[in-house]
Amino acid sequence: MNASALSFSTADLAAQLDTCSPEQLDQLDFGVIGFDADTNVQRYNAFESQAAGLSPQRVIGQPLFTNVAPCLNNFMVAQRFEDALDEGSALDDTIDYVLTLRMRPVKVALRLLASPASGNRYVLVQRQPR
Amino acid sequence: MEDIAQLRAEHEALIQFLYLAPVGLVQADIDGGIVMMNPISAQLLMPLSRDGGLDNLFTALESVAPDLRHLCADFSKRAGKICDGLHVHLNAGGAGKKVPQILAVTLLKLDARRIMAVIDDVTLQVRRERQLRQNDAWLNAILTGITDYALVGLDARGAITEWNASIGRVTGFGQDAVGQPYSLFYPPDGMTPEHLLDRLRDAERDGWSLDEGRRMRADGSSFWGSALIAPLPEREPPCGLEADGPAYCLILRDITDKREASERRRREAFGDHLTGLANRRAFFEAAEQELTRSRAVPRPTAVITLDADHFKAVNDRYGHPGGDAVLQHLAAILGETFREVDVVARIGGEEFAVLLPSTDLSRAAVVAERLRASVASQVVHFDGERIRYTISAGVASVADGMEGIDPLLKRADQALYAAKRAGRNRVERWRPELASSPIHQSQGNEGDRHDA
Repeated sequence: MNASALSFSTADLAAQLDTCSPEQLDQLDFGVIGFDADTNVQRYNAFESQAAGLSPQRVIGQPLFTNVAPCLNNFMVAQRFEDALDEGSALDDTIDYVLTLRMRPVKVALRLLASPASGNRYVLVQRQPR
Repeated sequence: MEDIAQLRAEHEALIQFLYLAPVGLVQADIDGGIVMMNPISAQLLMPLSRDGGLDNLFTALESVAPDLRHLCADFSKRAGKICDGLHVHLNAGGAGKKVPQILAVTLLKLDARRIMAVIDDVTLQVRRERQLRQNDAWLNAILTGITDYALVGLDARGAITEWNASIGRVTGFGQDAVGQPYSLFYPPDGMTPEHLLDRLRDAERDGWSLDEGRRMRADGSSFWGSALIAPLPEREPPCGLEADGPAYCLILRDITDKREASERRRREAFGDHLTGLANRRAFFEAAEQELTRSRAVPRPTAVITLDADHFKAVNDRYGHPGGDAVLQHLAAILGETFREVDVVARIGGEEFAVLLPSTDLSRAAVVAERLRASVASQVVHFDGERIRYTISAGVASVADGMEGIDPLLKRADQALYAAKRAGRNRVERWRPELASSPIHQSQGNEGDRHDA
């Protein structure tokens, strides 16, 4: 797998991210936060770590919506994952959002990915061109 | 090198501390431009943002707290708290558990150029406090400051059963009050027959029912009164007679001297700063209460939504102070047009809503039309200029409270949209064909805002 071929909008991205090594995720030019069925963060790549100012050790294993990215804990993001899990359906949607990276409001595109088959879920973060 | 590593670790810990703070923190410039904010702020504000961004605090909150910009601009001190835990009502019955209903907003002016805001979801807290407040009000009514009160016996229909001297002392009514409903003590438009019975049922259910407001004496003068209704224990009917149903006791007190304090409290929590009308919170609370009651005893409830036509053009031409003068003028006409029992509220920047208890669609439409005509015939004097404006209104009603306030408000908005479409300066009633039409969004960033 050639990780550098992956972009924010690549189709069927979740399955390909599943196979990436941590080093490969670190090469991507967008943020990757992977979390499990209990919402605990399992994957956190260098791009996201750098943007948020948090090292992976502080984040891995922590519940995403309460301890890592509380800004996503509303009906626009967290509820979408919850609904997809309840319905056993797939989620692949891209929305405009504002993250508070290092307490600065930053416009981003978020891609929300969940597939019932693997149980892995992702929030991908791309900074909007200013 | 070790110093730098340590500094870096401390910086990261500090950032994480702010990421995890369980309240929203925002720093903005004096016009609301957001400089820094933590994640909870984004969690709470993003669902309210109409342009998908969070560049400006006042803009983000505009649709639910149009007052904030004014509060901040009118704050003349160099620094200090502009507002403290101001409650901002979002939607009534939200869908899903991740939808907060009430935010508390505290604004602190740091200096001439900077403000800080603390934003907190207080939905559950408010629900608990409301219960406590009612208990407090009850104790207060019983225990404190009783100099004089009228003790009035009521029958199952709310009619006064017998006269006593206390009724004469406090209200001036004589023997002829017997047999009349207790709405005798209320202003003519301050009580509907349905509300009269609602309060007896509330008393039955909760053990008591308390209200406060303008009350009338026999000579037509008014006083500020507090009225507590409590059910009386059922008595065994005398032998051979049928039980005559439940009976109640009404305790009516003249609290005119406390009115100022209690009115100020009410204005702070439930009033709109600019217009003096009710705010969103008051509207939604009153609407939910009215619709809950009308589930128990079905009767029609109407809602009118309205806004000033081409309001943006008024603002562009006369500036925001001119726009404010129009809103205040409109608020004054609204106050004159509706009954005391109606709830007239400013629910958005230039959007108003009126709740009309026990009113059907055609009666509400008649009042709305009277309002429209009255506005169209008047002139606002502002800064040497004469501003003329018109309004459009949408009217909707429900036969019972089954669906709650949100669908009712949506229908009124759809009718308002139809009124705008049909050329403005109009009143439209909701009808089923409008069910699929868009909601008129006076604050939206779509084209409609600009020619509203």
